[in-house]
This record gives sequence, structure tokens and C-alpha cells, in this order.
Amino acid sequence: MKRCIVIGQPNVGKTMFVLQFALYLGLAEARIAFAEAGGRRWEKAYRVDHALADLTGAGPHHTRQLQSIRLDLPVGKGRRALELVDTSGLVDGIHPDAAIRRAMAQTLATVRDAHLILHVLDAAAAGRRGALAGIGEVDYQVAQFAQMRGGYLLLANKMDLPDAPRGLARIRQELAGHPIAPISALHRQGFHEVKAFVWRHL
Amino acid sequence: MAGPGPNPRTVDDVLAWLSAGRISSGEALVLFQRLETRAAPPAPAGDGEADGERQRRLEAVMAELDALIGLAPVKELVRELAALVEIQRRRAAAGLSTEPMALHMVFTGNPGTGKTTVARLLARLFHGLGVLPREHLVECERADLVGEYIGHTAQRTREQIRKALGGVLFVDEAYALARGGEKDFGKEAIDTLVKAMEDHKDEFIVILAGYRDEMEQFLSVNPGLRSRFPIHMDFPDYTPEELYQIALRLCQERQYRLSPAAGLRLKRFLAEEAQASPYAGNARLVRNLIERAVRRQAVRLARRRHVSRGDLMTLEASDVLEAAHQLGTRHRPDHRVAVLHPGKPWAAGAGVARG
Repeated sequence: MKRCIVIGQPNVGKTMFVLQFALYLGLAEARIAFAEAGGRRWEKAYRVDHALADLTGAGPHHTRQLQSIRLDLPVGKGRRALELVDTSGLVDGIHPDAAIRRAMAQTLATVRDAHLILHVLDAAAAGRRGALAGIGEVDYQVAQFAQMRGGYLLLANKMDLPDAPRGLARIRQELAGHPIAPISALHRQGFHEVKAFVWRHL
Repeated sequence: MAGPGPNPRTVDDVLAWLSAGRISSGEALVLFQRLETRAAPPAPAGDGEADGERQRRLEAVMAELDALIGLAPVKELVRELAALVEIQRRRAAAGLSTEPMALHMVFTGNPGTGKTTVARLLARLFHGLGVLPREHLVECERADLVGEYIGHTAQRTREQIRKALGGVLFVDEAYALARGGEKDFGKEAIDTLVKAMEDHKDEFIVILAGYRDEMEQFLSVNPGLRSRFPIHMDFPDYTPEELYQIALRLCQERQYRLSPAAGLRLKRFLAEEAQASPYAGNARLVRNLIERAVRRQAVRLARRRHVSRGDLMTLEASDVLEAAHQLGTRHRPDHRVAVLHPGKPWAAGAGVARG
């Protein structure tokens, strides 16, 4: 089974993307496996639209643990299993909350053995506050780290917001050389390219 | 961004530091890259002194291996294995994925071609490399493994395995385990052995040894075995020249030397043996010959009143000649050949082993 990990700063829409992407691929119900940094694991069956209401929110650090969805996808004549892993956000600097630091360590542990890395950026924030605010130090590091391996795609999210086009241009400039797909996770726009990318690597 | 002072040894270090708030996630990613790209750590975790000691022992083993006469392909393979084990260990230390290694082996070759010697060296080598906790080798054969009644075999086999745990179990003439066919207890010994290899994974290494053709046959009627014993070392017969070198070495170890005439005599004998018998290329023949020559020399010198230090050390042509007469294939009832062709019992009724 291939593992596709979704990472990025807090509140860029990682969970929203994962769930909407699952819906886009035709998954109405999902068993979501949760894994806390402390080692606790549990599973919950969700209707994906309910999961959206439950697991996403307006503030940062909503996701504190790995949340993974197993997808069984038709590829060619056969089917392939894909695990879509939603992670808790990575922040610049040293976060004061130990629980969040542990969650970030868990995220990075997962990054290392992921087959595919989808790196989500908030294009609207990048447009609004200038590139340095929307694109964090950690984003450069992720990009640089992921560059060494195949299967890396940048998702410029929140393209439905007014500042986003400017943000996208900045992202293209700042993180030149990496493949970038502009999307709106909320409206499931731009998913075609993401799907094509994932399929290529299955 | 200022890199953190100490270098992480493993990914776990990085993650621990991140959790502890010593580094940011961005720094953690930089360290990841460093771990992946930098030269692997020279030596894995462990205090320097113990490592140095281990290294010295390892070098001693390799030196002993190199000192063995002939066996070029075997030496090459052993070096490969040693390198592989070492690199896997360093990969693990660098946080890279490692291949699980099955180090069980099949040794094929005629008697006296160095199988046991190399097996003993391997036990010490793997101990030195940290693969095995101990460096001992337990040698056994069919008679040690197979019992007399139902259930007895498993018990006896387990007993040998228990003795070998932590080291190497060397099963000589392993093909004999398949000798009696399907109903024979030998099959039970094989099954017990295979089960123990799974139960005690990484705790010991099994080496099956035997004649080339017989072992080939043995592995082909026990299809599960071949994959469980992925390493195959073939021990070629020694050439007459190599046997001569071995004889010189044996003399040297015993503080004897061959007179020039004795050396020539020995060379001729070895060449004739090689012509006469396909099983002459073994070091045991040479060892027996030298031991007999030593006894002939003792008899010869015992009669003399004045013996110099040089005389005491020198084996003369007559000593070698007499020893050769006692040993030569053409001059003795050939019990070895009788053992060598046990009538190929598998050809008759062994059938195909159960899957």
C-alpha cells in the first residue's frame, strides 16, 4: 500500500483537503484511523460530510494527531490501496505546547517513509501578508527535503479567496522548481491535477 | 538558521529533540537531510573501547581467513557477507531501511576442503560483526539429530539447537537427513530445524554441509529449504600445489621441515593421487600424510645415537615415501569410496517431500 502524506503549516486546509479529496474520489463513508503522538490509536467510521464538520475548523491546530483514510482506487484494470494521511501542522520556531511539538515529531516521522508528499500552502495568506508570512521557513525546509525524493506536489490552497492569485504568483516565485497545483479544497477545484499526480505514483 | 550543536545519530534523535523543544520542525527537516546525505557514521552506537576490541577481533578473523590456502571464491563470498552485514548495520544507524538478512548457508564440497574451518571462522566473524551474541559452533550430523522412536528426533534436534543458540549450528553431511525417505525420522529433524529457524530468528545461524551432488539432491527434494538457506558456498577441491602449500604450513606449525628430496617426493605423491582419485583434493589427506611422516621420522631417528637439532626437524624423503605407501589410494582398501557412494538412497524411495 502506498502512503500519501499531507503536510503544511497549521490552518492551511490539510484536513479539508483530505476529506474533500476523498469525497472527490467518490468516497461517501470512511473509516478514519486516528493515531496520537502518545501512541493511542482508534478508528471511527464517518460519513465524509460529517467528518468535515467534525474535523475541520476555522482556527489553527485543529488536528493534533495523524488521521488516515484508506482508499481503494481503480487503477487501470486493477485496484490499488492508498493511505491518505492527514497530519498536524508544522510551525516555524519552537512551539511552547509540548503536545503540539510531539504531534509535529510524529508528522515528521511519517514524512520520512511516505511515498507521496502533498504539501499544502495557504495561497490567500501568501497574497495577503506577503510571501514571508504565508510561506514559512518550515515550508522551504519541507520543499527542500521533499525535493530529494520523488512524489512531491505543492498544493496552493484557498484559491477561492481574493488575495490568492497574488499569493500563487509569490509561491511560484519563492518555491520555483517544484510542481505546484492551485486548488480550492473547500470547493473541490483543481483536484483533477492532484488526482492525476497521485495516479501517476500509484 | 543556526544548526544545532551536536549531530544527531539517528532519526529518533531528531524527533526526540523536536518533541523536547530543542529544535524547530524546519531544523528537524534539515537534520533529516543531513542524516540521509552525510557519510554514514563510521561506527554505530557503542562505547569506543568495546568497539575497538570488536574491530581488532574482526581483523584477526579476516587475517586468519586470508591466511587459509586456496579457497579464493569462498574468501570472496565471506568478505562480501562481512561487508553487507557491516553496511546494513551502518544503514540502520543512519536511519535507513535495512534488508532483513537470512544468513543460513549451504556449504558444498568434498571432505577436507575447509568447510568446518571456514564455518568456525564465520562464527567468530558474525560474533565480531555483532550478528551473533556468541562465537561458538556446534557441529552435529544425522546421528546427533535423529532419534529412535517417534518424538525422540524433535527432542534430540531441539537439544542440539539449544546448544547452538547464539552461535552457529553446523550440520555435517546434512543430505543424510533425507536418506530414509518420507517415513524416516530425518524428515522430522529437518522440520524441527526449520521451525527453530523461524522461532529463533536472528539468534543462530544454521550451516548445512555436504557433498555437492548429494546436497543438490537434498535441496531439490526439500523445496522449502533452498529459500531458507540463501547463501551457498562451494568449496572446490584443492589443487596438488595448494595441498603442497598446506603440507608446508602443517610442517611449519609443528616445527618440522621437509628436506628438498622429501618436498619433491611429496609433490609427486600429491600429483599421482590427484590423477588416481577424484577425492584426493582434500587437506585431510595431507594432514594424515604429514602425521604419518612425523611418526616414520621418529622411528628412524630413535634407532640412532646421535641426532642433531636439524635432524629432529627434518622430514626426509624416506619418511614421506613410507607415509605415502601407507596412505596411497592404490595401496589400501578404499573405505572412503565406500562411504562416498551410499547407493543414492533417495533415488529409490525418497519421493517428493511434502510441501
